[in-house]
Amino acid sequence: MKALVLLGCPETPSQTPMAVYVFNRLTKMGYDTTIAANPAASKLVKISDPEGLYNLNLVDLERTLGEINEGDYDLLVGFVHKDAAASFFVTFDQILQTKSLALVFSRDADEVAEFVTMIEESGSNALIAAVRAFHNPSPIKVKFDRAIKEFE
Amino acid sequence: MSFCLDTYLQQSDNYEIHASKAGFKDCAMIIRFKADDLVYIKPGDEVLGVRVIGIPPIPIGFDHEKGTVFLPYTKPCHGTSVVELPIDEDEVEKIRKLDTGNKK
Repeated sequence: MKALVLLGCPETPSQTPMAVYVFNRLTKMGYDTTIAANPAASKLVKISDPEGLYNLNLVDLERTLGEINEGDYDLLVGFVHKDAAASFFVTFDQILQTKSLALVFSRDADEVAEFVTMIEESGSNALIAAVRAFHNPSPIKVKFDRAIKEFE
Repeated sequence: MSFCLDTYLQQSDNYEIHASKAGFKDCAMIIRFKADDLVYIKPGDEVLGVRVIGIPPIPIGFDHEKGTVFLPYTKPCHGTSVVELPIDEDEVEKIRKLDTGNKK
């Protein structure tokens, strides 16, 4: 089983610890997990694991977009905290046609609702876990832990 | 060698940005407003050598008089922009083949 984790723009503090958390959880669930991120988001995650304890498998987001095909992954998990991140998630979801989970969060409740609507209106069948959060990753962790049980 | 939009935008100044650091919906509206001809494609369809990112249906616009195409261009940290650049008829025909016909 293979899982792809999509990271968005790195300017939200809770994304990096949650990326490591999600990677670890999916790996323990038996997924061969890959994190796709832009160079800045990727560096934040990589430096968070200096000893390589998690064996984080990081790849370039845009190169991955150019290379993936339907069925390449069994699960897609996306961090959606910006308009662009919603667009990226919907695009990967549409190409892969696989099970998917969108972790939608923002410091602004209206933005959370807007990003959820974008995903829903795209026709995606993704499970959406949405919460108001920015600095503190705990609300996202709680939502993720609950949502990922659907894929066990 | 086939055309690649990323390379073109880095190496040419023959293009125009009509919106930058915007949301996808705003950019889609600008394309509908600016173009005199539209096709609607799926996210991930390839246009000018890159997979187009967005929420379906994604409008791709043409100005046939100027011989240009309008398309959304999304980067994770910079949001979506509307780029207008010259296009030849062969590429227009390739894009027409992607038309889903779905405008909703």
